[in-house]
Amino acid sequence: MTDITNIVDRIALGLAGALFMLGIVVLGIVELLDGAPFGAAPTTNEAGEIVATPMVDPTIRTGLVLAGLAVLALWGLYKVVTPYAEAATARRETATAE
Amino acid sequence: MSTKAANPLAGEFELELDGPLTAYWIALLRVVTGWWFFHAGVTKLIEDGLAFTYGPMYMQQMTGTVLGPIPVWMGNNLAWLIAPGVPLFETLIGLALIAGALTRLAALGGVFFMVLFWIGNGGFGHGLVNGDFMGLLLFMTVLVLGAGRYYGLDAIIEKTTLVEQNPKLRYILG
Repeated sequence: MTDITNIVDRIALGLAGALFMLGIVVLGIVELLDGAPFGAAPTTNEAGEIVATPMVDPTIRTGLVLAGLAVLALWGLYKVVTPYAEAATARRETATAE
Repeated sequence: MSTKAANPLAGEFELELDGPLTAYWIALLRVVTGWWFFHAGVTKLIEDGLAFTYGPMYMQQMTGTVLGPIPVWMGNNLAWLIAPGVPLFETLIGLALIAGALTRLAALGGVFFMVLFWIGNGGFGHGLVNGDFMGLLLFMTVLVLGAGRYYGLDAIIEKTTLVEQNPKLRYILG
């Protein structure tokens, strides 16, 4: 069972979730409210010319999502270098018994 | 007793992670995701062998993305790795997921591939959440759930003495 009870775990998971939601949902709503194009790519005419661009640069939105993934990746590395949850649990139980 | 009465999904449709329906679905999700990548990789191997030259070309065209100059640099300088690596790793990632062996490590590789496809294809005409992103989420889900433990070889591998003595190996198994 993965131990996700300490402050580092909570901050990492909270921050990653917030970055995901900001990049995908919050800025998605902003894009909707701004009107067409509702997607995250420019609209082109038949000649291929750009006739409308999204309000929020997709680079910013994808960047926020990738930042969320990066936070999760760093958290994963943190879990690898810190004691395994079972060992930590065992230590806590020993300490309590003492 | 009161819990069961309040939860109409208890019993055979128990949604706990060790419940039969959940285990069945996680295993199915893992195998289908694995087949997706295995098929993509093995067909490249059949058609181009270890010389998938489109891989480096694809990376060289990834300009103006949030990844900056990294993909272009990779396309220009790591062609020796990308050309054989794309079909080979896609195939191996797929096989690992199908068998449920080294599942989390393989899923991490899948996430890496899907980040590049999601950003590189840039099919954002209907929003950021597209098929590529769904693929990325599938690999993340397999990774987070440790899907290899459900009817996969990792369920057996994790019971070996090696893993018992080195529990951190579960971070790449499971």
